[in-house]
Amino acid sequence: MTIDKSDRSEKLERTRRRVENRRRDAIAKRVAEDEDLEIPSASLEWMKRTLQWGVKADVTESGLKLDALNIGIYGEIPDKWEDQSRMPRGAYPMPGVPPIGYGIREKRDLWADNAADLYEEAIQRRWAPATDIQWDSIEPLNDDVEASVCQLCTMLCQHANTEIETLGSWLHQMSYGYHEVKLFLASEMYDAARHYEVFRKRALSNGGGLGIELRGDVKRMILESRGGWSETALLLYILRGIFTLTIYRYGEMFAHNTAERTIFAGAIQDKARHLSYGFEHLRYAVVHQEDKALVFKNLLGIGERIFLREISQPVVLEPLAVIFGGGVEGAPEGMKTVHEMMRKFVQHYLSALSWIGIDRSDSLASGLSAYISEK
Amino acid sequence: MTLTDKELDLAPAVRDFGEENDLDLSWLETRGEWGVKAEPEKGGLKLSDIQLGTYGEPGDHSDNMTGRPRGSLARPDAYRIGGYQVRTKSDIWLTNASMLYEEALQRQWSSATDIPWDTIKPLPDDIERAQCQLATFLTEVEFVAAEVPGRWLASTTPDYFEPRMFLVSQVMDESRHLDVFRKRAFANGGGLMQRPNVTTSGTVGSIDLSADFTEMSSRLHISGEGAVLTIFRMGEMMAYNEAEKRIYRLAAQDESRHVAFGVMHMRYLSETEPERKEEIHSYLDEGEVALVAGNQNPASRDTAQSEALAILLGGGEKNFDEGYRKLMAIRKRQAREYIQRVKSAGFGERFLNGRANTELLKYAS
Repeated sequence: MTIDKSDRSEKLERTRRRVENRRRDAIAKRVAEDEDLEIPSASLEWMKRTLQWGVKADVTESGLKLDALNIGIYGEIPDKWEDQSRMPRGAYPMPGVPPIGYGIREKRDLWADNAADLYEEAIQRRWAPATDIQWDSIEPLNDDVEASVCQLCTMLCQHANTEIETLGSWLHQMSYGYHEVKLFLASEMYDAARHYEVFRKRALSNGGGLGIELRGDVKRMILESRGGWSETALLLYILRGIFTLTIYRYGEMFAHNTAERTIFAGAIQDKARHLSYGFEHLRYAVVHQEDKALVFKNLLGIGERIFLREISQPVVLEPLAVIFGGGVEGAPEGMKTVHEMMRKFVQHYLSALSWIGIDRSDSLASGLSAYISEK
Repeated sequence: MTLTDKELDLAPAVRDFGEENDLDLSWLETRGEWGVKAEPEKGGLKLSDIQLGTYGEPGDHSDNMTGRPRGSLARPDAYRIGGYQVRTKSDIWLTNASMLYEEALQRQWSSATDIPWDTIKPLPDDIERAQCQLATFLTEVEFVAAEVPGRWLASTTPDYFEPRMFLVSQVMDESRHLDVFRKRAFANGGGLMQRPNVTTSGTVGSIDLSADFTEMSSRLHISGEGAVLTIFRMGEMMAYNEAEKRIYRLAAQDESRHVAFGVMHMRYLSETEPERKEEIHSYLDEGEVALVAGNQNPASRDTAQSEALAILLGGGEKNFDEGYRKLMAIRKRQAREYIQRVKSAGFGERFLNGRANTELLKYAS
């Protein structure tokens, strides 16, 4: 017997109404019992306390979006957020609230104009690894290929973990006045948790298992970056982020089944959103601070060397070569595809930097420039 | 498992092939447990389905300082960059974190499109101001429950990734709560109003400054979110349209998950480390004072938000007294639900031995 969906929701609605009526009755009973309650006179001073009244945000076809709330004074996003507490932007301030101590208080240190839209997009495009991946489409693979897929998944779990830990350690330092960015980064953390979950699930779903951990060169560089959120963002989004996105794209191209294809497609969509915030913020930082481009350029000089040290470990690129080549025997041929992938990575890296306002074409680490000069 | 524990056993032919082709390939034989095949069940492939063999439940203590995924092979030259403060299982564990996380994923909602905003019609000025005052308060306090867990994520070993994943889902839920209450304030010709004139954190004994995860969780999940949950559950009584009803209903659904996390974690701790119970009682002592005084409790007395609630519950300023009576009835319910949660978490003795806050007990009686 099949249960009609509308029947079920009607039943649920009836149950909900019953529970609510019961709650209402219980409160009414308590009210009746407490006849002697002393009722203080209301001060109602708060009723006049607003910095701007009469605001009505537009609801469009795509709903009521965060960006639509930036009306009147509520849309004024100051260059410096002086308040050190959790006061919402535009709320009526009250004196004497002790500070919490937010370290990031300047717009140039975290802002991106697209943060609000990206946050809404993240919510609309959510997916669940448990139910949105066709796990039963995964068929046994040869051991060498399965081991390579599992090693790749182990690495991608670590990429996601780095993202979670990095965002977790910065989010609480960002001032409330820039809530759009805080909300977007919360959604990014949530995406990263999903990536951690989905790659672990893939590694443990086809007769394989996790591989060996990375040494952690790039993770160390990102987590130990203390200069500011912008500097951390540079390493997280530009060096690591573009690399991860490039791997996702090739992962989708060389997927062995629908499940893998869906996993990588979802991850690409998420990662592209993360990079979109990162690029926009870094450009904002460069435009609003005189020497930021030079600082970033210098940091990348070091960052590229560390990145090269990480990818020179066989465990990073060789599993991809086996996957692209269809097995160990095809790995030498697969390595050509790896080089092509790395060429695309470097091209994306340089074009993103150029868009942000950083030119590294003449100072790119030789290990990276080799990928684009190769025929 | 460490690299040195495992003999490299690459087939000679593969090794020769690798050497000839400038490939190392040793990673093919250096890995965690092999031969694991999780099967999706009803409800898809869940986190609980992949808890197999060495990938299953973690040990009572974690020496993972590099951030490796649980069950992967450790390498001796990896950097100890984790700096994880939480590496003892009982400090953060609970038996059903995976289930709560999966539920969170399935029950995500969008404040932009899942709330019928068009059902909000102009309201009398006093009601609109009261809604906006309450929304201002909730916009401020709800994100406390995102920022603080976020910080703990970075300081918890990934060996205990299930509770960590749940906390990430909580960060997402609370972001949505910040955003939906801000949206409500601007949806009907109102605006933001007075922010709470007491601090939402930053003082000793607060959620922010807790140095221990369970200390933080007892304040955040049991006291703070528990108090807000009771209010959300009463949303029908203070909602004036379908949009507001839906907001409270969905927010209550999220909040009950967060409270369940706190209760289950405290229960795990009380069962596995009963010697810590007295310490936890001390946190509950402080939490109960806050619950009664009301830093983060919208139903506490004589605050802007409690007056706003009384107006909403009564149906307008003119019915303030009636609304106030309802508010006090809700406050009683809050106290009772709190007591029930603490009992369920394994700390019910405080209500029998005279330790519990007397004012709180008076509310519940």
